[in-house]
Amino acid sequence: MSELSGLVLSIADNKQLLGLRYAEWATRAPSLEADIAAAAMGLDDLGHSRVLYGCLEPLGDDPRRADRETDPASLSALPYFDQPWASWAQFVAANAILDTAFTVMIEACVNGSVEVLQHRLRKMLTEERYHFLHGRSWLRSGIEKGPLDEAWREAIEWFGPPDGDTDALHNEGALSMGPAELRARLEERLETQAPGLELNWKTWDPKRRRTRPGAIDERTFGMLRGLEEKRFAPAGTTKA
Amino acid sequence: MTAGVKYRRVSGDAVEYEVFARKTRVEPLHQVGSVVAPDDDLAAAYARATYDEERWIEMTIVRKDHVISLWSPGES
Repeated sequence: MSELSGLVLSIADNKQLLGLRYAEWATRAPSLEADIAAAAMGLDDLGHSRVLYGCLEPLGDDPRRADRETDPASLSALPYFDQPWASWAQFVAANAILDTAFTVMIEACVNGSVEVLQHRLRKMLTEERYHFLHGRSWLRSGIEKGPLDEAWREAIEWFGPPDGDTDALHNEGALSMGPAELRARLEERLETQAPGLELNWKTWDPKRRRTRPGAIDERTFGMLRGLEEKRFAPAGTTKA
Repeated sequence: MTAGVKYRRVSGDAVEYEVFARKTRVEPLHQVGSVVAPDDDLAAAYARATYDEERWIEMTIVRKDHVISLWSPGES
């Protein structure tokens, strides 16, 4: 697996899970407008994930293997998406920090040297502008520290270690930013500094871009694989 | 939504914004609806999410309390 394909797959997997978690709040947000925004942002991110998956073949090295059909831990998504969010604060922290972190990485791809990424990902930046406005506004209204710190930690871990793959991709020109620049850009966009974090890169998984083990919940994984459809099929119509 | 409706959010009062859009350069902007939000950023995000079903070439929002009314139906 090339480093760039692995990174693009990780953006795709994270956007797919982010879109699903947004959509789960489409009837639970604090106002009707926020419900609609959650649904719309969910659709955007699911669409973005499709575009990103579609970039893997042109990149010449599709890292997806058969275990993605059976093993939820084979997905390259962050721990933040392992379980459905239990609070609006978790939604806001993901919206403001993680969604913006993914956008910053997409900026680095669009401004990098790889043509297929330059062209196909550009439109996402326009759509993401509204996710950013939504997340920043709710962030300014004030949320609990716990989800915020967790989102910051996972965003910075996701950017990668100082001398890791994103640093190498930056040095060769595929990305316009390395991990330090990505973090600085995220802080600049959110007009705030990341909290003081002690990061332990020894346990960082370069494939999944996370330090914690774990995987998405069984129901979400089953739904992604189409297995949940069986629950709604009339008796006697499903194959074993 | 009712004109002038207000509710409290953590960061302050939410106000009503009118949403205007057009599909072609030759037509004028016209009102397509409204949203309620506590600030301009959130109003922009809500307007885009709520009224983006059609292929608008332009969309703008205006705070309803910034609109100066000259006269209303029955007052001319």
